[in-house]
Amino acid sequence: MTDVLFLSREQLAALVADLVAADTIVIGPARAGGPAIPGLEDRQQGVAKGAFGTLEYREVRSADELELGPGMPRLSLKQFFLPQNEKLFSWQQKGIAVEVQAVPTAFAPRVILGGKPCDVAALGIVDKVMNWDYQDELWNARRAATTIFALSCGVEDQHCFCTSVGVAPDSTKSADGLFTAVDGGFLVETTTDLGREFVDKHRARFAEPPGGAVEAGTAFRAAALAKVRENFSFNTERVHDWVENHFEDPFWATLGVRCNGCGACTMVCPTCHCFDIVDEEEGVGCGSRRRCWDTCQASKFTAHASGHNPRGDQIARYRQRVNHKFAIYPTKFGEVLCTGCGRCVRTCQMGQNIGEILVAIDEYAQKDTQ
Amino acid sequence: MSEEFEPRITAFVCNWCTYTGADLAGTSRLHMASNVRIIRLPCTGRIDPLFVIKAFERGADGVIVSGCHPADCHYTAGNYHARRRFALFHDLMAFIGVDAERITFSWVSASEGAKWRDVVNEAVANVRRVGPFTAYRELIDQSVSADHPLDDEVLAAAAASAPATSGDSKTGDGA
Amino acid sequence: MKELRDLARQLLTDGTVEVVVGWQSSARGARPIFVDKPEEADLLIFDTRCVHNLATYLNPRRKQVTDLGKLALVVKGCDAKAVAGLLREAQLTRDRVVLIGVRCGGVVEEFDAPVPPEISAETIMPRCYGCDNREPHLVDHLLGDALPEPPAPLLSIEKRIEALEAATPEQRWEYWTAQFAKCVRCYACRQVCPLCVCERCVADKSQPQWIETASHTRGNLSWNVTRALHLAGRCVGCGECERFCPAGIPLTLLNRKLQQVVEERYEYRVSDDPEVAAPIGEFRLDDQQEFIK
Repeated sequence: MTDVLFLSREQLAALVADLVAADTIVIGPARAGGPAIPGLEDRQQGVAKGAFGTLEYREVRSADELELGPGMPRLSLKQFFLPQNEKLFSWQQKGIAVEVQAVPTAFAPRVILGGKPCDVAALGIVDKVMNWDYQDELWNARRAATTIFALSCGVEDQHCFCTSVGVAPDSTKSADGLFTAVDGGFLVETTTDLGREFVDKHRARFAEPPGGAVEAGTAFRAAALAKVRENFSFNTERVHDWVENHFEDPFWATLGVRCNGCGACTMVCPTCHCFDIVDEEEGVGCGSRRRCWDTCQASKFTAHASGHNPRGDQIARYRQRVNHKFAIYPTKFGEVLCTGCGRCVRTCQMGQNIGEILVAIDEYAQKDTQ
Repeated sequence: MSEEFEPRITAFVCNWCTYTGADLAGTSRLHMASNVRIIRLPCTGRIDPLFVIKAFERGADGVIVSGCHPADCHYTAGNYHARRRFALFHDLMAFIGVDAERITFSWVSASEGAKWRDVVNEAVANVRRVGPFTAYRELIDQSVSADHPLDDEVLAAAAASAPATSGDSKTGDGA
Repeated sequence: MKELRDLARQLLTDGTVEVVVGWQSSARGARPIFVDKPEEADLLIFDTRCVHNLATYLNPRRKQVTDLGKLALVVKGCDAKAVAGLLREAQLTRDRVVLIGVRCGGVVEEFDAPVPPEISAETIMPRCYGCDNREPHLVDHLLGDALPEPPAPLLSIEKRIEALEAATPEQRWEYWTAQFAKCVRCYACRQVCPLCVCERCVADKSQPQWIETASHTRGNLSWNVTRALHLAGRCVGCGECERFCPAGIPLTLLNRKLQQVVEERYEYRVSDDPEVAAPIGEFRLDDQQEFIK
């Protein structure tokens, strides 16, 4: 890590203004900018409360829109790298010929300010599968175009468990730098060349930290670390081994029977990356190939053309979710496919609780060895 | 626009009444707008709201749905079922904000060639007034990924003006 | 609720059912539980956090539930209407399920609260307001004390529909296309809906592909509108679709709007009497047709 600098709130506003003026897209946590019913007060929009407040990651045009504090955006940063629907190419019939139109595979630079460390760390984990047997150009191009500053987290609630999966409330995994909120602004550290280049380019906005700020930042981070450790914890290696060796355990049935297969957990998850590819005719003689988010919890996810479905019930599908994230992916890529953000727990409306499940598995694993 | 907008109207009509009525309009050499493409179905009871949605997706600016008068359905009750279905679809489309002028429902019998002409002319005039429904077709293009894709021209210009490149960004074909 | 626990224990002990599906308390507040042992009947609760429509588990495609055998289901009024819907459409035979009805005064949005919140205008789930089935009829047992009518929420579904109808078509279009842009096509709405039980949903039909499967706004509009239309006259207003939606789309507005249309045009309200036929599939010679030329 390089020297710690300080970015006051005023300078942050100026920085964002500079970036926007230079046509650089700025993304960060903001109040959900969604549509409003005309004639109704803003607070009474009555959007389904769901499990979250009203934050979302989105493009912002000024620092006023940024909410760099407590609160977890509804969806993760995933949509900015693997959009929920993305064109891969399109075609146009011209007489008897067909013209294929490629999509751009390069993007203008953009900045994420204030990503939750769990959301940011997820990107590096997914990088591995995106560069495994096929180099995913679109994912990689968006990653290359984006400078990311994470924001030290104060721990959202009792469902967070980042420290159990190798992340932390102040983790800089996959980040180019870290903001930590202190009085009047943010401490800023950079951890990569890209981060350093960004700060150098806007050096006038950054100053030396005022007296006491560094200590306050360190205290905040230490408190957050202690707080998340109080939630619950489990050992990922023990979980990995138990899951690998208990494919037919009756435990899976108790989980699968409650699950609706709605897939909300996979949609809000920062590390879930499964997608479907469809070729669709979209007009007369024209169409495109697109990829869209898919969910292993859907009944048709593993349906074969023959009619056979190897994961034909929800028990098998729910088991798959835990298996993939905590056994298969670590075996293949050396990392757990989870950053402990807790969104799946908060969003599940039937009360499935991955924390509860992992702690239970860890206990079974420990009993096995006794 | 120098050219006046010519609406594209798709008409879903039942074979026994409206299709025959439209034929009668033709053989009677009645003059009417030529913007309508007719899709013949056995009965209005066969018409699924998805047909109308598909028509808008594929380029229709307006849709006509027409069949036998109540009590005259060739299959006895098809149009009664359709009537309820159409009512729901009509009310829901209005609630979504689709201009009511774009979807026309009518009962046109086999002997009502003149009525078909009037329905067609009115529908075309209404849709011409509200304009092309490109807003619907373009719903396919909204992006949530907050990025600026760089097309080949921009990249080529950037490459030409910056001799010492980092070699990170790639050009070329997609997928 | 002691009555509930005693009844469940009894049904399991004397073998009337293999499993009782109800609610339990957990780290995430109230959530469904499948009790198959009499001693676990003590885990059953019923309080203001019990928002879930358990009738969704009666979906005949859910092999992992049908495999459990004959079940008893705890149902509120809205849940009972859903069961009636399944019976009406021959998706369920009455002998497959024992229905334990509970009298309900409304549920809260915060089903994950550690302690059951009191019902008030601030806490009530908007879809509870105006409930006409607080004492479910289609049940084998009816438990609990009669509770007062749910209060009006701060902003009811009806008020929001009214506000939308008062707006211009352009404003409505802008509102709904922005909502549909958020849809990620997880189909959570469909999965949880107790009446979305089609063996092959029209969205999954690919020869031809009627509903564009890609999750762009246009395909999402097709999906959400079609689902609303397929539920017209069948939707029981349980609000689960909206609760489940991870994108926060106000689906109850679409469903309630069609409920209003069906009530106004065909004088029909969904009931928990499976003998009363649904309006789509029926017709009257003098049905309204003012919109038809």
